[in-house]
Amino acid sequence: MDGIIFLQWAFDAVLGLGLLWLAWRALNSSDLFKAIVLFIAFGLLMALAWVRLNASDVALAEAAIGAGLTGALLLAALARLETMTDQNVSGVSAHPAHPPSPTPAGSRFSRGLLILLLSASTAGMGYAVWSLPSYSTGLSMDVAAHLDSSGVSNPVTAVLLNFRSYDTLLEMIVLLLAVLGVWSLDGLPPQPEKPPATVLETLSRFLTPVFILVAAYLLWVGADAPGGAFQAGSVLGATGVLLLLSGWRPRARLMQWPLRLALTTGAGAFILLGLLTLLLEKQLLAYPVAQAGRMILLLESLATVSIAATLAILFLSVSSGHKMKTGKEEKE
Amino acid sequence: MLIGLLNIDWGVITIMLPLAGGIACVLWPAMSKPAGLISVTGVVLAIAGLGWRIMENGTYRHAVGGWGAPLGIDLFADGLSLVMLIMTALVGLGISFYAKRFFSPCDAVRFWPIWLLLLAALNALFLSADIFNLYVALEMTGLAAVALTALTGRIDALGGAMRYLLATLLGSLAYLLGVVLLYHDAGSVDIATLAQRIEPNAAVWTALGLMSAGLALKTALFPLSFWLPPAHASAPAPVSALLSALVIKASFYILLRLWLELFGAFAEGVSMLLGLLGAAAILWGSLQALRQTRIKLLVAYSTVAQIGYLFLIYPLALVSNGMAASMAAYLAFSHALAKSAMFLAAGNLMQFGGHDRIADLDRAVQRLPLTVAAFALAGVSIMGLPPSSGFVGKWLLLDAAMSQGRWDLAVVMIIGGLLAAGYIFKVLGYAFTQAEVPHDARAVPAEMEWAALLLAIGAILLGFMAPQIFALIHPDLAVNASEAGTVWTA
Amino acid sequence: MTNAFLYAFAGIGLFVLGLHALVVHAHVLRKILAVNVMGSGVFLVLVALARRSGEATSDPVPHAMVITGIVVAVSATALALALMLKLAGKSGEAVLPGKHND
Repeated sequence: MDGIIFLQWAFDAVLGLGLLWLAWRALNSSDLFKAIVLFIAFGLLMALAWVRLNASDVALAEAAIGAGLTGALLLAALARLETMTDQNVSGVSAHPAHPPSPTPAGSRFSRGLLILLLSASTAGMGYAVWSLPSYSTGLSMDVAAHLDSSGVSNPVTAVLLNFRSYDTLLEMIVLLLAVLGVWSLDGLPPQPEKPPATVLETLSRFLTPVFILVAAYLLWVGADAPGGAFQAGSVLGATGVLLLLSGWRPRARLMQWPLRLALTTGAGAFILLGLLTLLLEKQLLAYPVAQAGRMILLLESLATVSIAATLAILFLSVSSGHKMKTGKEEKE
Repeated sequence: MLIGLLNIDWGVITIMLPLAGGIACVLWPAMSKPAGLISVTGVVLAIAGLGWRIMENGTYRHAVGGWGAPLGIDLFADGLSLVMLIMTALVGLGISFYAKRFFSPCDAVRFWPIWLLLLAALNALFLSADIFNLYVALEMTGLAAVALTALTGRIDALGGAMRYLLATLLGSLAYLLGVVLLYHDAGSVDIATLAQRIEPNAAVWTALGLMSAGLALKTALFPLSFWLPPAHASAPAPVSALLSALVIKASFYILLRLWLELFGAFAEGVSMLLGLLGAAAILWGSLQALRQTRIKLLVAYSTVAQIGYLFLIYPLALVSNGMAASMAAYLAFSHALAKSAMFLAAGNLMQFGGHDRIADLDRAVQRLPLTVAAFALAGVSIMGLPPSSGFVGKWLLLDAAMSQGRWDLAVVMIIGGLLAAGYIFKVLGYAFTQAEVPHDARAVPAEMEWAALLLAIGAILLGFMAPQIFALIHPDLAVNASEAGTVWTA
Repeated sequence: MTNAFLYAFAGIGLFVLGLHALVVHAHVLRKILAVNVMGSGVFLVLVALARRSGEATSDPVPHAMVITGIVVAVSATALALALMLKLAGKSGEAVLPGKHND
């Protein structure tokens, strides 16, 4: 038994150190492409850490959004940055103008001061964490006590879609704001010509239905087990990214109001349901207990559509205008 | 009938209405302008309703989802929240009518949905009683503000927006780490519950440090103000007005609220530090403003200086005696009106002359009298001359400083006032003189001139409203406030 | 003490590493990565300390908060990347204009 505990400890310690090491490497690698790949690896290791911490819901979200979609966004942005800067300032991004090089003598003092400040704040924050009581249940008792009347049996879904559903409503607005912000920079993304068919196209044709099924499963199972709108939405969004990578482009007609509807349907459903409950129950987003399960499933389904559309359109906007460089290795 | 109106949950409406309006703008871009104006007007009415309700029934509380804190999220409004909401609604209304004429149809489609969502975020923030929910509202506010900053797509605006985004994200993360420590220390994110549970231990002190630093960065308290001038000066005029008048007040409000409810009792040393930084901000911001050759940068640096006054509230120990909330809200309201008027006036001058070089204003006073009047009236309040609201607010601060023997702060305030007079008369002086090279001038729509002027008049009128504002926040202090309000007539 | 504290310390470490990179690197893409690492650090502290109740159950509220946080982070990252690209398109390089001292 002691052996197992020791092994667990060792595993956690290695994982923790691995996270720090990967983060350090990702942030200080001299090559940006390498930095992003290391960052994606870091995200996957984070997912493993979430599993170790009994947070499977978070692990799913991290793997799909934190590592997967963020990674795709970063790579797409880097590819576009290189096509841009190659024309102007050659090699700015491939060999960054400011690598972590030895500092000139003038700024050595400020560098030292920075290290000192950061060390002091690390010690302070570390001590603060250390000083916290070693046993605490937080709000888990309150959640457990009300789980029966929440309409679902997965406590994380209960928190996200019922107890703290108002946060989730605002979060849907944050997603919408990201799209509006990106659009206000670029206008609606232009329609790039279709790149030639690749292996990816065949692959994505095969994978699309599988991913849609996975998303539907995650959405359905989220009521009782790890999963839910965010995980399903990000898997569906990733499907969209894969299709976009393989050269598929939505028809121009789809990019108008059907897209706008898809982007807003999650937030819109929250608002409409919120106003309805305000009218009937006198409380914003207070579902009648008997209907709670159905209402949560409805909200989650529409939120899934919005999240997927948002993530896919963010990727399209960041990567559009230029042909994707998928074969980055040839540059190395 | 009237009782029915009183029972409507106006607090929730102030958040849901602009959200719905923003979504309508996304769905029907052609309807952006009317949807925007209707939503903003509706918010003004809803806040009037909320204010009526608070005056009838006392503080407002709404348990979202019916759960109640600490499991659920509560909306909460007292006098302080109400004044911040009124400030947002009135200044937002003025800026909206300005923006109606300012933006081309193409830009309007991009401006309105983001502005409505920003308005919802601000209302949600001022109504929240939950520190994690405040984080989400803070991020909404930040992303919307950055998106609006970059609206012109010009290179200086993009650079300003990029720096602003990184600063605002850093500030939010520091705040969030503070939330994490408080939650794990006290087992709740509800402010009222936390207030009962927290004691000054290592985790709470660290949370205090992280949250104060993060929020000070987002409020652009000197020396964390490096991001503000490029962002506020490069944004389109109505957006600059929104950023300077309202957005920085959001993070300031959270800090104030945390201080009033959680930290104020034991963090006197940090109060002193905040006050010193505030004093430094007044001097540095005013001197920088004096050096500028462009109006919008001048007004942006003036914001850095005026933020300093807000932070003088902390060392003057007003946090403990109950005056802090009313003073802070009053100063913030006064600055919001004056600064939005100034930025809108600057926008008119830019549209009129095609530039914002101070030296080339070229007798603007003859050709844009209303705009120059707006700038001058707003300037009266920024300088702190009677009978403006700026005078009343700064007089009360000065009074507090002198009665506590803080002559250093008093001297800083007086110097700040003189420097403000310097930079405002610099602009006005050039507005009266003829430039060496005459310029072509474009017409400025009357609504844009009137929007600036009305906001500036508001900054003056607020000076007469001090007793009412103070009574709203703290009924017991109404007597003191009415004395303060009549100081200038004596 | 459980492994909760171990991961919480790792989270603090990530926060500081990210902060360091945010300050010292000039390239905007590196700054964006740094902000993401800082965010992961905060999330790790939040979820790790929720494990203090023991092996069987952990507090679901931090889990929900972190899912919220991850979505906020990806939104902010997308906006930051779009801004960076636009800035690079205008200025030719992805660094912040003007003096660099944040």
